[in-house]
Amino acid sequence: MHIPDNLLSQPVVLTTGALALGGFAVGLRKLRTRLRDRTMVLMGVMSAFVFAAQMVNFPLFVVPASGHLIGAVLAAVLLGPWAGALVLGTVLLVQSLLFADGGILALGANFLNLGLIAGVGGYAIYDPIRKALGGQSGVLIGAMVAAWFSVLLASLAFTIELGASGYWSDLPRVLGWMTMIHAIIGLGEAIITGLVLRTVLSVRPDLIFDDDTILTRSGRWTRVAIGGLAASLAVAAFLAPLASPNDDGLEFVGGRLGFLNEEAGSIFTGPMPDYSIEGLPDIAPVTAAVGLIGTVSVFITGLVLARAFTRNTPSLEGPNSSSPSEAGPEPHAA
Amino acid sequence: MRLDWLEPDQSAHGSLHRLDARIKLVATLALVLAVVLLPIGSWRPLGGAAMLLAFLVGISGVSPGTLLRRGLAVMPVVVLLAVMIAPSHPMAPTFGPWVVGGTILAKNCLTILSILLLAHVTPFRDLMTALEQLRAPTVLVATLLLMYRYLFVLAEQLSRMARARRARSFRRSRWSEWPLGASLIAGLLLRSFERGERVHAAMLARGWDGTFRSLDGPDSISPPVQPDSASP
Repeated sequence: MHIPDNLLSQPVVLTTGALALGGFAVGLRKLRTRLRDRTMVLMGVMSAFVFAAQMVNFPLFVVPASGHLIGAVLAAVLLGPWAGALVLGTVLLVQSLLFADGGILALGANFLNLGLIAGVGGYAIYDPIRKALGGQSGVLIGAMVAAWFSVLLASLAFTIELGASGYWSDLPRVLGWMTMIHAIIGLGEAIITGLVLRTVLSVRPDLIFDDDTILTRSGRWTRVAIGGLAASLAVAAFLAPLASPNDDGLEFVGGRLGFLNEEAGSIFTGPMPDYSIEGLPDIAPVTAAVGLIGTVSVFITGLVLARAFTRNTPSLEGPNSSSPSEAGPEPHAA
Repeated sequence: MRLDWLEPDQSAHGSLHRLDARIKLVATLALVLAVVLLPIGSWRPLGGAAMLLAFLVGISGVSPGTLLRRGLAVMPVVVLLAVMIAPSHPMAPTFGPWVVGGTILAKNCLTILSILLLAHVTPFRDLMTALEQLRAPTVLVATLLLMYRYLFVLAEQLSRMARARRARSFRRSRWSEWPLGASLIAGLLLRSFERGERVHAAMLARGWDGTFRSLDGPDSISPPVQPDSASP
């Protein structure tokens, strides 16, 4: 979901814009050393691909609606973290310029959420898992876990940006709900990413981005730090409702200070009017359970998908299509 | 999304079409910024902005129905967010949630319509040249140009693949949609990658030196990178 204009407060627009610009500049600088015209052509075509892939609809089972792939982790796995983020950025820019889908001033926030946090952050989660497990199954499991986290982290960033804009004085509760909903949505992203990558790995495993020259040793530590931060953020989001099972205190203060007036509160104060669904007395265990179920099922689905590869191809050695040392187009037998 | 939605209809030839793309881009951004900065409940400036926009649409010759239809396509998200946010907006206690929600919706209508108007009176290529002249990074502009060039090719390919799939699957369940959709995406991904490689080879074969040239005007986009063929 792209944030439209007029929703974020001005400080948030400025902050997210500055962060996005900074991230964009860092990405461009990282790319400059390895950017050849071939990468650029591929980036253009891949942007068009991500755009087109988002047009494929997947039916949801619980509600009569459909969702689509975001593709942040998919792009990062294929092109590397920074080129992937740039691809997502171009998609967002075209969507906001041609279709007004997502605000033009909120572009910074959207790029921050989907390009940097979901794409680069997702890659930071994917890479250690891939290295640890090794082989094609490592790529698959890492990408699926990262895809699940990418949706979660992007939704958290979205919620925090709206919360910082002055809405939702009961931010922890909204965060809990958003986490719960997006833990389920993320499953879809993880499954599609895994299914797509399984086909890619079986046909052209050389397309997977595998280049350590982009990261220096200090960069590797940053990556580990980002990965750890991302994971702990997600855990914190699950645990936030547990930490304050009843946020009467916040609501009381809010009521006293006039944040929440009674009339408004009775219409809608968040995804749920009270913190319980019928029959489910407390949201906190539900959130934690969904989080656990989500993580475990992503791992299991990844393992199931990866089993096909544990037999035949043990490693990813092969012609590396994105290696900077190669000159000119590579002939490929297709 | 239907294919004809990918490209804004630029058949109309009003006076806005001939304006420099840089002016149009900056003016649109200024208009959006002004609307976004308006405080809650300031109906009179909003009405003024709406009249200005209506005037611009009038002299542009773009059919208002087209703009409204395209605007309506993105409105559900805006409405959903406005409904979610209006009651807990910081200004809600003073103005009431209805005024807050109404203002957010009205402002979004204005910003969405002004951006759509820009897209309808400016060819994408001109917009990119304007971005380039306004000192946007060349890599970004070049990627955008290439993306726009292949967007239609890939979208058409996707729709052909989807049609072929529909023609071959007699009974579909909701479960089978997922692997089928994923294989559709994977097929498109492989074809896109290979197309990118072929395109690059073809560009090199025609002597591409990293410069995007256009037959429309003298301005060309400078080489953002050294091409592989020239590199050691």
